Amino acid sequence: MAKVFSKTARGMVGGIAAAAFGVILIASDVAAQGAEMGSERFRRDTPSQQGRDKGQYIPTISITPDGCEAWVMDDGAEGYAVNHVTRQGKPVCREVNVCGVLNSDQYFATDSYHINRGGQQRLREFFRNSSAFAFTVIGHTDSRASDDYNMRLSLNRANSVAKVAQSVGARLVDVRGMGERSPVAPNNTVAGMAKNRRVEILCFE
Amino acid sequence: MKLTLKLALCASLLAVAGCDETLGGYPADKTIDRGIDSKHLSQLQWGIWVDPRGCDTWIADDGLEGYMVRRLDKHGKPVCSGVAPPTHTAGHFKGGSRIPDPN
Repeated sequence: MAKVFSKTARGMVGGIAAAAFGVILIASDVAAQGAEMGSERFRRDTPSQQGRDKGQYIPTISITPDGCEAWVMDDGAEGYAVNHVTRQGKPVCREVNVCGVLNSDQYFATDSYHINRGGQQRLREFFRNSSAFAFTVIGHTDSRASDDYNMRLSLNRANSVAKVAQSVGARLVDVRGMGERSPVAPNNTVAGMAKNRRVEILCFE
Repeated sequence: MKLTLKLALCASLLAVAGCDETLGGYPADKTIDRGIDSKHLSQLQWGIWVDPRGCDTWIADDGLEGYMVRRLDKHGKPVCSGVAPPTHTAGHFKGGSRIPDPN
C-alpha cells in the first residue's frame, strides 16, 4: 500500500513538472468544464435544484458589527450566511474597527522599538479612554531594509504598544507584525514611506 | 419566521416528539436535530453554493435549519472550483430532511 502510494506520488510530481507551463490554462479549463457538465459528486440536476428557484440562491450583503461583509440569504424556512472573502481568502471589510493608527515616526526612533515618554503617555490615555472591549495591535514598516528585518521590527514595535496597553489593563486579542507586506501607500516617495511606517490598533466592541 | 413555522408544525402534528421542548426551549446540547427528522448533526447532507465571486461554500438545507460554511483548502484559502456558475448550487443539499421547502 505504502509502495503504491509513493509511486503515485512520484507520478504526480512528474506530471506537475511536465505540465508546469500549462498549469494556469488547464486549471481554468477544468473549472469551465465543471460548470457545464456538473461533477459526479455534486451534480446540478439533483432534486434540490428542481424547485421554483432552480437551485439559484442570489444573496445580499449584511455588515457584521466588525464592519466585514457577509453574504446572506433567506429561502423561506431557513437563513444562510457566510463571510464575503476575496478569491485569496481575505475578508471584505469596511474599515470600521481600525480605531487608531500611530505614525511610527512620532513614537519610535529609526530602527528602534522603544516608545518615547510622550508617546507612552498618549497611548495610556488612548487605551484608558477607549470604550472598546478588546484590541489587536499590528505593526507595519516601509519597504527599506530586508523583509525579514521589517517583519521583526514591526512585531517588536507592536509588542511595545501592546505592553503599554497591558499596563493600563486593556484586553489584547492579538499582536502582529506585518513588516512591509501591507502598505497603505506607494513606497516610491518619502511621504508614501512615512505613511506606511505605522502601528494599527483595531478595536473590538 | 422560523419559530412561527416550527410552532405551526407542532400544532398540526400534535404529540410529535420534541414539540413540547420547542415551547420550553432546548437544553445546551445542540449536537442533534430533535423532533421530526431527528438525527445527529454529523449526518448533515452537504451540497455546494457558489458565491457571487465564484468561490464555493458548503450548504445544507436541513428542513427548518440551514447551515453554511466556507469551503477552504487545508491552507485556509477559498476553493473556487467552478462546480456551478456564481449564485447557483450543486449537489442534493436538501436531501438530509423530509420537510419540503416553500419553493
